[in-house]
Amino acid sequence: MQKSIEKTGRLLLAMTLTLGVAFGAQAAGSDKSKEGDFVRGARAWAENCTRCHNVRDPKELRDDQWKTTVTHMRVRGGLTGQQTRDIIKFMQESN
Amino acid sequence: MRFKKTLLACVVGLAISQTASARSDLEQLKAEVEALKQEVASAAEWKSPRTLVHMAGYASVGYTDTQNEPGTFKMGNFSPIFHYQFSDLVMLESELEFEVDEVGNTDVSLEYLTIDWFMNDHAALVAGRFLSPLGNFRQNMHPSWINKMASAPVGFGHDQAAPNGDVGLQVRGGFALGGANANYAVFLGNGPTLEANGFGGFEKLESPGLNGNGDGTFVGGGRFGMLFPDKKLELGLSAATGDIDIRTSTSGPVYEGLKRDYSVLGADLTWRPGNFDVRAEYIRQSVGSRAASSVPGSADWTAWYGQVAYRFYPSKWEAVARYSNYDTPGEENDRVQLAGGVNYLFESNFIGKLDYESNDNPNDGYEADNRFLVQLAYGF
Ligand code: HEC
Repeated sequence: MQKSIEKTGRLLLAMTLTLGVAFGAQAAGSDKSKEGDFVRGARAWAENCTRCHNVRDPKELRDDQWKTTVTHMRVRGGLTGQQTRDIIKFMQESN
Repeated sequence: MRFKKTLLACVVGLAISQTASARSDLEQLKAEVEALKQEVASAAEWKSPRTLVHMAGYASVGYTDTQNEPGTFKMGNFSPIFHYQFSDLVMLESELEFEVDEVGNTDVSLEYLTIDWFMNDHAALVAGRFLSPLGNFRQNMHPSWINKMASAPVGFGHDQAAPNGDVGLQVRGGFALGGANANYAVFLGNGPTLEANGFGGFEKLESPGLNGNGDGTFVGGGRFGMLFPDKKLELGLSAATGDIDIRTSTSGPVYEGLKRDYSVLGADLTWRPGNFDVRAEYIRQSVGSRAASSVPGSADWTAWYGQVAYRFYPSKWEAVARYSNYDTPGEENDRVQLAGGVNYLFESNFIGKLDYESNDNPNDGYEADNRFLVQLAYGF
């Protein structure tokens, strides 16, 4: 019993930390409106899009498809919102 | 004179009729331009609606020749991925997996289904059934067009040492840290379950992503990764903790009611200098002891692998070598594997693989069969 209370406590602590990280980050990064930038995007693409798999040709997909794909990769790779917008811009201008 | 008049009349008549037809041509042109404008406008609607729908995925087919068994053609898997996205606010991502078994039946499973809410630039809430964020291979390397070998390293398959998935909540994101990029994933989920083998030991530790919490406790943890872009190096650390129980029925959520400790520890490395691609990962799931249980002892499932690939640019050939090691609480399923292969990259997402696996069970009295594998993988 004692043990499971301890465990629950630990989990609650973990959750609080998680939410802390999330909302702390929210306060720090409330710059949603920043536009994507081609040059930054080219760099972020080179640094990130080969981390897990072979690089995918920008010409493979249409503009709208790059938006969903790079957003999916944002979640996979822990990219920031800004990196995501920059890479989308780069992909959309290189396809 | 008369002739002249007639000619004049004709010319005037022609001119009038030509002006009239020019006017009607102009009208028609205008109408066409108007129609075109509307088409362009509706094409723009196609290009930038607030809801986007996209279908991706991957599939593999192959041939396996295992020692002491006949060579066999294999349909590996067909895994369509659905993306639905509303503006920059939310995305639904889901992957189905279709597989065909030896007697020809098709199995379908929901690999993952999450609703991802982009709370801000550094955090997304990912809720639903997800691939375990612990470690790197299971969540990022398993798709056949990504994995440089036709099989998973030993211990990194389904229900082995590396956790597969969970149902719950995750917060994932990234931020700059010094000159590096940090990425993180923390989660809270229903957790895995244990199966006993009826002889005082464990049959397996299962983490398919249970849509129930029969043992009454959650499991929480996460992975923290650091990417050093100049060094082309990424390091990750994973850990999780919680309670776990033995499920006594394979068909329903019936548990022993005797909780025990559960923990996960993992570390992963990716390093890509020049034409090399080096990956290594260690993962361990542990369960504590519990008196009065049908399996009172503690147990560990540990696996690790190291893989080096070299791409012979500018050709489309790639060579891969991998060592993997899987240690279970019993003896029967322990494996040590040395594997080597060559890949032909028709395109970065369409790959032919030819591999040889030398498999061994390090315990006395056991053997493991070697295999040749041929695979064609396509990610779309
Ligand atoms: C953390 C690892 C990781 C990173 C970083 C990453 N990818 Fe992926 N990528 C994956 C995985 C894993 C899949 C397969 C998706 C699945 O099975 O759910 C994938 C799939 C894809 C696909 C196929 C379509 C799809 O969505 O499944 C494309 C295209 C792609 N990635 C492009 C990119 C681009 C562009 C970047 C850089 C922004 C990138 N990837 C960064 C792991 C990664």
